[in-house]
Amino acid sequence: MNALWQSVLGEIELSVSHATFTTWYKKTELVSQDEDEVVISVPNIFAKKQFEVKFNDRIKKVLAKNGVEPKKITYTIIVTGKKTHINRETTLNNNPVSQLLSSSPNNHSVTLGRPIKGLSVTGNLNPRYTFDTFIVGSSNDLAYTASLAVSSNPGMKYNPLYFYGGVGLGKTHLMQAVGNEIIKNNPQTKVLYVSSETFVNEFLDYIRFKKKGFSDKYRNIDVLIVDDMQFIANKEKTQEEFFHTFNFLHQNNKQIIISSDKPPRSIPTLTERLRSRFEMGMSIDIQMPDFETRCAILKAKASLSGVELNNDTVEYLATNIKTNVRELEGALNQLLAYAELHGIEPDITTAEGLLGSVRHSRPQHLTSKQIIDRTAKHFQLAIEEMCGDKRDKHIVVPRQIAMYLLRSELHLSFPKIAGELGRKDHTTAIHSVEKIEKAIKLDFVIREQVASIREKLYV
Amino acid sequence: MELTVTQENFARALSAVSRVASNKTGLPILSNILLRTDNNRLLVAATNLEIATTQYIGAKITKPGALTIPARLISEFVNNLPKDTIKLQVINNNLHISSGKFTSIINGVIADEFPELPTINEASSISYTIHIDDFKQAVNQTIITASSDTTRPVLTGVYWHSHEGQLYLSATDGYRLSERRLVETKSDVSAIIPVQTLQEALRTIVEDSDTVDILFDETQVRFRINDAEIISRLVDGNFPDYRQLIPAKSDINVTVNKQEFIRVTKIAGLFARESGGSVTVTVDADNKSVSLHSIASEYGENTSELSAEVTGSGQVTLNSRYLTEALSVIEGDTIEFSFTGKLSPCILKSVVKDVDYYHVIMPLKS
Repeated sequence: MNALWQSVLGEIELSVSHATFTTWYKKTELVSQDEDEVVISVPNIFAKKQFEVKFNDRIKKVLAKNGVEPKKITYTIIVTGKKTHINRETTLNNNPVSQLLSSSPNNHSVTLGRPIKGLSVTGNLNPRYTFDTFIVGSSNDLAYTASLAVSSNPGMKYNPLYFYGGVGLGKTHLMQAVGNEIIKNNPQTKVLYVSSETFVNEFLDYIRFKKKGFSDKYRNIDVLIVDDMQFIANKEKTQEEFFHTFNFLHQNNKQIIISSDKPPRSIPTLTERLRSRFEMGMSIDIQMPDFETRCAILKAKASLSGVELNNDTVEYLATNIKTNVRELEGALNQLLAYAELHGIEPDITTAEGLLGSVRHSRPQHLTSKQIIDRTAKHFQLAIEEMCGDKRDKHIVVPRQIAMYLLRSELHLSFPKIAGELGRKDHTTAIHSVEKIEKAIKLDFVIREQVASIREKLYV
Repeated sequence: MELTVTQENFARALSAVSRVASNKTGLPILSNILLRTDNNRLLVAATNLEIATTQYIGAKITKPGALTIPARLISEFVNNLPKDTIKLQVINNNLHISSGKFTSIINGVIADEFPELPTINEASSISYTIHIDDFKQAVNQTIITASSDTTRPVLTGVYWHSHEGQLYLSATDGYRLSERRLVETKSDVSAIIPVQTLQEALRTIVEDSDTVDILFDETQVRFRINDAEIISRLVDGNFPDYRQLIPAKSDINVTVNKQEFIRVTKIAGLFARESGGSVTVTVDADNKSVSLHSIASEYGENTSELSAEVTGSGQVTLNSRYLTEALSVIEGDTIEFSFTGKLSPCILKSVVKDVDYYHVIMPLKS
């Protein structure tokens, strides 16, 4: 029955304008069909009249083409629940009417509506991403702990929960793990995972085509997870809409989880009110995993694929791919696939042969001059200033960062580092490197600056 | 099509219907209005597929016909013409308009493109004829408490329904509620009329309007005021059964002069802007007084008192805007104000005989 109507609509769609189709035909359905009569439901009185007077001939013709020639076509408006009595539905919905009048305008907790269509219980979550498969290391244990807390008590603990960090460090994994865990604990919870791009697109559709259900979709949920928030940063209207959605959910103690590549205060185009809201929960950065974590990740991934890797191979990969878990996994997969295809052991020799290009590729491109250049550019200083004698704070810190990077990226000796930056004494270099190492652990501004310069070095 | 109308009639009809014409929907034809001859009258109509408004005006028709033209352009053009007769003529789907020294040609679209206007079967629907003043008042009294939150569509309209032989109008946004009895009824009615439809109906009322004819069927409603008709869809869904929430009796009852109450509420409201309008009402049975207190931490505070007939003592915190709005629509010189406790509904009532209207405001949690 549905198939018939679909083919009718399909044919009509080709012959009328898009606007006409969406306005009139889109929300129609075939209700019943027999030899005498075909009943079609239409959304409202306007459509009913339009069909009866203007579209009837066309419908008749297309139906005939599909082999259906009823004596009569009836158009009817489907009214939900009118027949059932008033009180019943309200109680059915598990929403006592007594909540209808609520005490404070801030308390929007009443929802009399029905569950929203199209929102599956899993809410676009990838079931693969769970806490079990997340490898915890020093770079992400805070994020992990916070996520656990949120998933056991959504909306109460850290709201919003805001993750930031570079690509491929596990933000998405962690967020989806929270969603999956919440659903596991309480399957009734409505969790919605969207990328900010989806949010933008749906918002645009809503504006442009007056598509209904936008607010419904985003406001009738218990957990909202938005990935890659930075993409809405330069979209004023979307930010505003998101702001309202955010407020609505937050006031109703619904959990919000957001990820982005930068902390809220470092996204310049983010409006003040959103920024302050993002900061009122908990913002956690996810760092690049350290060597041990990288090894652990590799081992875990390998054993998921049913392969045991020996330590040499793991260490080889972990040493050579430092910046990004996704790349790490990619290299591992490449290795495993290659080994399987050729029927050989995925050991260090295979790895070396295969990933030779990966190995050392980066440091080789990199020169100390580039590091100093990049650092200077990042802080908008001249090279002369960096290597000069001035000891103003705004020059000293960049200088120290440059030294730190020379050490961490190129493993230069301290006297060499001092020399590169025009210092006579190598203890200056030792001091600087130590200072930045410490600062990275304590000061997120420095951490971020270092990370961002480092990222640029490898572009 | 060829006809003559007066500028006054044409301008009035155009401005009444062109509000409804919009280009918000994807269908460009909806930003046009329909002109169609009908015996000795000219029909002017617009629709946004939620509402359709039509106006009939007297015209001298030389040649029948129909055309649609952009609503804003023609409406503004005709508005600016001097009071005179206007000649309309359709040539090749273009409307030639001339009046005195003004002539213009407006490109039109054939009338066949325009959506068919819904009709209502008068025989099978429930109809009421209501005095225009009653209608105006009842709608004004209830429409202010309707919700604008589209996530709960059933609250975005005014609920017209029969209850124990009477027709009632009620609306709520979740924080306040109003109910007004309109007329006796023998039929069962249950219809949620969108706020915009009622607003349009109110705007259609002109000075010599006397009554409004209202016609309901399952899915639509039609208002007819003089030569104007508004036909609208109803909001789909069930209005919550609010009656059980309204307390039959309250412990604290105040009878007070309305104008004075409005004055102190407005004054208290000035100091409540910071706190989201929160004003604390204290009723004192011993002093026979009501006092309103509000604080703006940065600017100062205010206490205003007025004497009243009082039974019971107590305190409640309300939104001053809700209070002012409620007071402004209640008839009569004195009103009744009652509540029971800090969190129970607060009821405002008219004491005018034969007027059944009450307004409920939920307190703020202070």
